[in-house]
Amino acid sequence: MKWILIAVIFGVCVFIGFMFSLKYKRRSNFFKALVLLAQKLDVGINFSRERLRSLFDGLDENLKKDLIGIGGNYTTYLDGNGELSQAELFKGINILKEQEKEVVFMFFKMLGRTDVDSQSKEIKNFENRFQDMATSAIMDNKKYGGLSVKMGLIMGLLSAVVLW
Amino acid sequence: MLQKILPENIYSVISEKVSLKALNEIRLRADKPIVVILNGQRFFLGYNGLTANLTEALTASKIMIEDIIFRASECSIYSVNEQIKKGFIVTRGGIRIGIGGDMVEENGVIKTMTNYNSINIRLPHEIKNCSLPIFDMILQNDQINNTLILSPPGAGKTTMLRDFICQLSQRNYAFNVLALDERGELDLGTANCLGNFADKISFARKKIGFENGIRSLSPNLIVTDELGTQEDIEAVIYASNCGVNLLASAHCDTIENFMKKEAFKNVINLKIFKRFVFLSLRNGPGTIDGVYNENFSRVLN
Repeated sequence: MKWILIAVIFGVCVFIGFMFSLKYKRRSNFFKALVLLAQKLDVGINFSRERLRSLFDGLDENLKKDLIGIGGNYTTYLDGNGELSQAELFKGINILKEQEKEVVFMFFKMLGRTDVDSQSKEIKNFENRFQDMATSAIMDNKKYGGLSVKMGLIMGLLSAVVLW
Repeated sequence: MLQKILPENIYSVISEKVSLKALNEIRLRADKPIVVILNGQRFFLGYNGLTANLTEALTASKIMIEDIIFRASECSIYSVNEQIKKGFIVTRGGIRIGIGGDMVEENGVIKTMTNYNSINIRLPHEIKNCSLPIFDMILQNDQINNTLILSPPGAGKTTMLRDFICQLSQRNYAFNVLALDERGELDLGTANCLGNFADKISFARKKIGFENGIRSLSPNLIVTDELGTQEDIEAVIYASNCGVNLLASAHCDTIENFMKKEAFKNVINLKIFKRFVFLSLRNGPGTIDGVYNENFSRVLN
């Protein structure tokens, strides 16, 4: 019985550490995907002038996955006739800080509102901001991602030793 | 489509309390009462439907107008900027939204329009068989007489053109029809709206559309809306010289004033059009006031 308890506690600690590390990885992938999205939108708007719905439909599956559902939430807004709200855009997304949510929300809010030249300038401006966020998220992932797994492992071992 | 572009409170009043079949226009001006036009008659739009009382009227706002334009562009203003530069946008389904605002000009070229302050939402109607009273005057002995439909705005020119194309198809006249839809209003996108024998070129100027269409699609008949400029007239003469028949429309308040129009002098002198159909709003949109031949003698009163 004691061995089972030790194994379960160890497992839980490692799992928690892994989940923390996954959060950093997802954040890093998310911001990299946002940069890519901004670039794709800029090209699409500049050259084909396709509508946003069709540009979002054309995104590849990996990018959609890395955007953790924000693309789907945005197309739901495009299909409806209400106002875009933070609650709607970030539905089911819990890895972003408030300040980051603000920037991402402003990006989606300005999409489609102006002519090609202005859109292109605004998208480029946001792309630079996303690039900074991505750089910071990659650093965090490197710094804290591995650390979280290690911490989980150490906590698990420590608990096992104490219980033994 | 109207549901997608109008704010919910306005759409619910219109859909529940106004006859959509009779609705011609919805006009929104910033900080002014919303006006609707039904069968050519003007009313204010209130919470309880139509009203003549200004105090009961719903008021439009600038944000409301901007949002309608944004929604009508399918949340992609940049994709309709070329239309906005001309002062309108057309939604899928043929709803035409005229826009008032500030034109942005750079080096003599219009770049876009901003600061939108008014819109005129014109609703297209598909009135089946409305062209039948003039059908036999346009099509005689299996030959099409070049015809120009004249009327003031909102009297049903486009509806008449659309129905004529549809009637040709329904009666199995397999003319190759080219619908040159410069403003995107001819094709409503509904099933069989333009019949089975029509090709469509949208959002092209008449001159380019006529030249490309004749070269590539070999039409027997070109149908187009709103002739007006000298360039349009040159395109008409070009098509006529190519042996292509024409069914077109133009704005005009009376037949006498049409005859005085400088741009049309050449067309009148060359007798390119064999029929002039004059529509009015006398008994509502689509009232046929008279049909004239190339010498402006009445062939139908």
